[in-house]
Amino acid sequence: MLLSLTACAEKSASTNLFAMDTYMSLTAYGSNAQTALTDASRRINELERMLSRTVAQSDVSKLNESRRAAVSDETATLLGDALQYAAKTDGAFDVTIAPIVNAWGITSDTPRVPDSDEIAALLTHVGSSHVHLDGNAVTLDEGCAIDLGGIAKGYASDCVASIFADYGITSGCVSLGGNVYVCGNKPDGDKWLVAIQDPQGDDYAAMVALSDAFAVTSGGYQRYFTAEDGTVYQHIIDPKTGYPVQSDLLSVTVIADNGTMADAYSTALYVMGERGAIDFWRANADRFDVVMITTDGRLLYTPNLQDQITEPEGTTYDFQVIDR
Amino acid sequence: MTSRSSTVKLKPTVWDGVIAAAVIAIAVIVAVVFYGNKTYSGELRVVVSVGNRVVDTLPLSDEEATHTYCHNGYTLLVSMDGSGVRVEQSDCPSQDCVHTGTITRAGQSIVCLPAQIVVHLEGASEDAPDVIVG
Repeated sequence: MLLSLTACAEKSASTNLFAMDTYMSLTAYGSNAQTALTDASRRINELERMLSRTVAQSDVSKLNESRRAAVSDETATLLGDALQYAAKTDGAFDVTIAPIVNAWGITSDTPRVPDSDEIAALLTHVGSSHVHLDGNAVTLDEGCAIDLGGIAKGYASDCVASIFADYGITSGCVSLGGNVYVCGNKPDGDKWLVAIQDPQGDDYAAMVALSDAFAVTSGGYQRYFTAEDGTVYQHIIDPKTGYPVQSDLLSVTVIADNGTMADAYSTALYVMGERGAIDFWRANADRFDVVMITTDGRLLYTPNLQDQITEPEGTTYDFQVIDR
Repeated sequence: MTSRSSTVKLKPTVWDGVIAAAVIAIAVIVAVVFYGNKTYSGELRVVVSVGNRVVDTLPLSDEEATHTYCHNGYTLLVSMDGSGVRVEQSDCPSQDCVHTGTITRAGQSIVCLPAQIVVHLEGASEDAPDVIVG
């Protein structure tokens, strides 16, 4: 018994870093854990230099500045994926929202409320039809700009998963801001317990036991600004209206085997609202699972999660399974 | 069909007693190692990192207290009341750290990106999550 207990004490390594406009924590177990995390951190910083809109020499910055650029293979592939997600979600996820995000500046030092004429003018530059991708050559129409921030962290989590696989890591836990990746099971063989933050309180709204999965949450409850008249504007903009989303959802957590997709779909489903999100899930039920918290106090989850989700003691949410 | 049965009476020996005592001793050691540690680490600790370096580890069971942390040109006032910890004031532009509110459970964090200051609650317990999404 003592021998088996000793064997459980597997070598582990952890690292934390500020990158991609968020705080990241990575933990891996196994003999290659430290090397894997060093490579993963290097890769994340490399992706930031390539994809960030605020790094002057990134592919995205060069493209937004000159409207025409030869980008790296990786940027071109990710942009292509982003355009596909935009098409699949009927524009609820849209990387060309950048000019309107700039105008609002909600996460910047100088947030403001643009007037309706300005928003209407900027909306004419929003939409995938303004992006022309031909191999590595990308051209943007006049007034168009892109922001891969809604998909880059998800992509980074996919890259970390790939590095873990290369190093034979079979147990690990990664949090890139709101993007979580759990590799295998915990060293003790149990599934990882992933808590979904309660958007209305200090506690957790639910716990989900996961292994080899990506979980991404979108919601407007932490990043927002309060205008002079007291109106609260949250940071996720509806690409169709140009205004911050007025959703009947407080948060959407997408669980999938692909971090990039989970990142894009969590934002898209939040923008769609409850009805649209459920319809979209039903049409793509084999691709992902979802947990949604509504403004009227319900916590909706997909049937695959029934054996994995736990209600916290004393929860005020009404847990309901979404019908297929 | 007939069947036969026999009864053999066994008397405990000294060695049986030694083996039983050894099993009990191992069980007690294992219980102390696991449950003893769990009770100890179940106490919540506030871990404050500034620029990725841990600068403070404080027990949450402290009475009401406030601490000030400065980095990257920003100042955060962190307050704890024994049951939770929050960023009470910050002069950072986004105020995301203030908006996060009070954290009360192991694994939760408050992150101020402009200041690169992280306030994290640590302390293992049976129902603590491994990671938080949201």
